[in-house]
Amino acid sequence: MSEKKMMHVLPLEAYTSQAWFDREQEMIFSKTWAYAGFAEDISEPGQYISVQAGLNNIFIVMGRDRRLRAFHNICRHRGTQLIRAVGKAQKALTCPYHDWTYDLEGNLISVPEEQSEFKDLDKSCLGLKKASVDMWRGMLFVHPNPDAGSIMEWFGEVEPHLGPHNIEELVEYPDARVEYEIKANWKIVVENYIDVYHLAHLHSGTLAMYDHAKAEYGFFGPHYAFWEPLSEDYAKDIEKNAPTPLVLPLDQLGASVPMLFPGIGLAESESNWATFIITPLGPQLSRVENRVRLKNASEWEFQKQQWRSASFWSKSIKGKYSPEAAEHDDDPMASGDFTAEDIYACEQQQKSLKSPYFEVGASAQNGESPVRQHQQVVLDFVEGRYL
Amino acid sequence: MSDFHRLKVQDTKSLIGGMAKSVMFEVSTELTETFLWKAGQHLTLRFELNGEEQRRSYSISSSPFSGDPLRITVKRVKDGLVSNHINDNVKAGDIIEVMPPFGGFYLEPGETKRRTHYFFGAGSGITPLFSMLDSVMCAEPYSVAYLAYGNKNHKSIIFKDEFDALCDANKDRLAVLHVISDSSLWSGFTPWRKGIIDKAAIEALINENPPYAQDAQYYICGPGGMNTAVKTALMSFDVPADRIHMESYGGMVEVDDSVKGRAAKVEIALQGQTHLINMAADQTVLQAARAAGLSPPFSCQSGVCGACRGKLNKGTVHMRASMALEDKEIQQGAILTCQSVATSDSLSISYG
Repeated sequence: MSEKKMMHVLPLEAYTSQAWFDREQEMIFSKTWAYAGFAEDISEPGQYISVQAGLNNIFIVMGRDRRLRAFHNICRHRGTQLIRAVGKAQKALTCPYHDWTYDLEGNLISVPEEQSEFKDLDKSCLGLKKASVDMWRGMLFVHPNPDAGSIMEWFGEVEPHLGPHNIEELVEYPDARVEYEIKANWKIVVENYIDVYHLAHLHSGTLAMYDHAKAEYGFFGPHYAFWEPLSEDYAKDIEKNAPTPLVLPLDQLGASVPMLFPGIGLAESESNWATFIITPLGPQLSRVENRVRLKNASEWEFQKQQWRSASFWSKSIKGKYSPEAAEHDDDPMASGDFTAEDIYACEQQQKSLKSPYFEVGASAQNGESPVRQHQQVVLDFVEGRYL
Repeated sequence: MSDFHRLKVQDTKSLIGGMAKSVMFEVSTELTETFLWKAGQHLTLRFELNGEEQRRSYSISSSPFSGDPLRITVKRVKDGLVSNHINDNVKAGDIIEVMPPFGGFYLEPGETKRRTHYFFGAGSGITPLFSMLDSVMCAEPYSVAYLAYGNKNHKSIIFKDEFDALCDANKDRLAVLHVISDSSLWSGFTPWRKGIIDKAAIEALINENPPYAQDAQYYICGPGGMNTAVKTALMSFDVPADRIHMESYGGMVEVDDSVKGRAAKVEIALQGQTHLINMAADQTVLQAARAAGLSPPFSCQSGVCGACRGKLNKGTVHMRASMALEDKEIQQGAILTCQSVATSDSLSISYG
């Protein structure tokens, strides 16, 4: 018998098997604060959104006191999902199956044919099951447990190591909102995001505006924080070189690229603030959603900045492979797009996991230490040591 | 708990042109534990004035987390015996008899708690709210607070300077919004709104400052009518009742003297024994019981603390004040014996 194959700390099957996927859904994604959107996604009373958080489908609705409430999206009658993804209710939420109706506090207020069909129904015991909701760094978070406690017990330790951005003053740039699938396990995607070693290599032509040698990084609880300064070349004329108007003061420039647990990546740079939310869809398939916030400035200001910086970017960005070496027009390795490069690397790695000859080699002592640490965090969660 | 302790006045400070006074107490090491307080609680003081014992409860106006001394702030009440005595006579070095901190209207801050606190205060109702708000700033770093503060005019704003300083030190998480009711023009002071803290003001406050931290809590402390009005307004915006906390301000409970008592025979069940006593028309149940030589529990004698609470089993009473009781408790027969005069010929009351 051969020994169980490992990916350093986790076994190989953690990246390929349905059993591991199910266990992570239960032990990680159904028991932690889950990203649910941007704060402005719910902006007026009655508006709601729902989010799948592991095994739980939770919806958030705003009351007339402008406070958010979160409930499990399950009708208390026979369990039908109560509301759809997004929408606006006036004062009540009605299940489409038998029209059981709840108010915005989750109380069951009406049951059709109650007198003839449900003689002694105690409606007060059939309110929607509550969940927790909070807002943090301009984002919405939900937790399946109504007594989850303060979100700062979860994020408080890492917060001081995140970017100094005034996120509430930035505005979303809707055109940059994208969602795509990566044919890789969610941990492959996370490990790529937190791999410091690859920055200077895979992204040699796309992320050279940052000084990777000066990166500072580490784990705070289950969360990973990372910061690096701008490269000298980029920084020396930053007001001209930034692709969009700066969102940080000149004495605080740099990029913070944390990966909050589980799979909540942020990219907080000198010129924008973005999310990189990884959702596991299957053992070998993940979804990523990116949304971007920029400075609240006029279109004209953005246009001027783009013109100003064009010459810097045209000479600074190049693909990993030269155009001549491209396999086809859309070859990510010749694209000059660091996200395309990352997706390519993740999918190629996932493919290899199936090979009988696959085995991992050495792991970089410093630059890949976050990869090993993240695996340890996952292991601690699925083995019930964390919560 | 109902023991009085002799505390030395460390210092006093006159406020709003001599219309109010802060009294700071020295608490000796052996009493530190006894006098630990929660932000929002009150102290009961005992004075001997004109040969009679007088007790009054005043909210503590300093935060237990700021390092400031134990402090009450007393506004003069027209013809108020004790409030004017404190304002006229109490000075550093005096010894005052004080009962340990008490009361169920309080805010306990937490290092990792993350809340949006909305405070609604008016006049001297600000005293417990100042303690609460300062405590949030000192000991609940992830939370934000908003205060709507009603006053007659800019000269009657207690703690104006303290609030300005707190706001300066906590720009990102504290806003104090002044509401001024005088219709005349003011010089150099622009309030957030004119008028009173009514439904429109509350709606404006919440719409302009919606909760960021979603654990929102609401605290109200103002003169009689204001508390109910603010609570009703909040509930009309679907604020759940369990998030609303309120108290009439210490020592300034609305007193309803409109009903005259009558002489009655009272059966009192106390500590396992039943006593039959007579009660005069001008006596409260507590006064009658004490006059008959019984030792029922009591403390503030102003309807605030709830220590003298009893249960009315038979007969009817009028309560001059009932701040310490919830409406539901009153329906179930709870009375404050220090505030109850008889309105029927015979009563049956049990303690504890």
